[in-house]
Amino acid sequence: MQISVCQQNSLIVVFILLFLTVTPASAAPEPWRSLSIAQQEALAPLAQQWDSLPESQQHRLSKSAKHYSRLTHEQKRRFQERLTAWSKLTPEQREAAREKYRAFKKVPPEKREEVKKMVKQEQERKAQQSASGVPETAK
Amino acid sequence: MTTKLDPRKIAQLLTQTTRQLDASTLSALADARQNALKMQSARAPVFALSTGRWTHSLMPHSANQWLLAGLIAVVFAASAGYWHHAQDQQISELDVAILTDELPIEVFVD
Repeated sequence: MQISVCQQNSLIVVFILLFLTVTPASAAPEPWRSLSIAQQEALAPLAQQWDSLPESQQHRLSKSAKHYSRLTHEQKRRFQERLTAWSKLTPEQREAAREKYRAFKKVPPEKREEVKKMVKQEQERKAQQSASGVPETAK
Repeated sequence: MTTKLDPRKIAQLLTQTTRQLDASTLSALADARQNALKMQSARAPVFALSTGRWTHSLMPHSANQWLLAGLIAVVFAASAGYWHHAQDQQISELDVAILTDELPIEVFVD
């Protein structure tokens, strides 16, 4: 079975196109108006600075926002509350946070509960201090 | 006792022997040679990079080889695409988990 030059060249073009589709393309900008209503609702705290965010971050956040509709009311509140701080982190800080979170999830549940308890106590202590106007003690 | 073979003498001997062959045998041999040459020219590279012989040896030559190469490329592209999508999905789920966890993000951020 022989193959013509034309067929060969067509196959080469097909291969090149295939590899181009496989290579993760640099994320295209996602203007605020191009987001769905649900995504806009999830990312509302970032509405003002959205168009100035790096394209890769827009891509990542818009993907995360797709999960927003199935969150509980409390989770939605946390998501929006933390979004601005999260978006201000560097990509390296976000990657490090993901690594820590993954590692934390591997900790036995009882240990995780202990950590949660400690963090909660620390938060309550800080809240009490700020309410009473007492400055935080130097470490 | 060892006999030294002289390639020139062998060639002469073959030429002489060929002259003694009958016409039908010579014609059959000529036909076989022509057929062999035709097959050789069909296998000549129609698309080869000019950098050297090794690139030619890497290129598929028959339709079957091209088909196999195409199949491998499609499987590779599909796997890479799936892996990329799965990776993307995993990261976005992780981000949502961090942003909605009971623990504040300060716990995970340096």
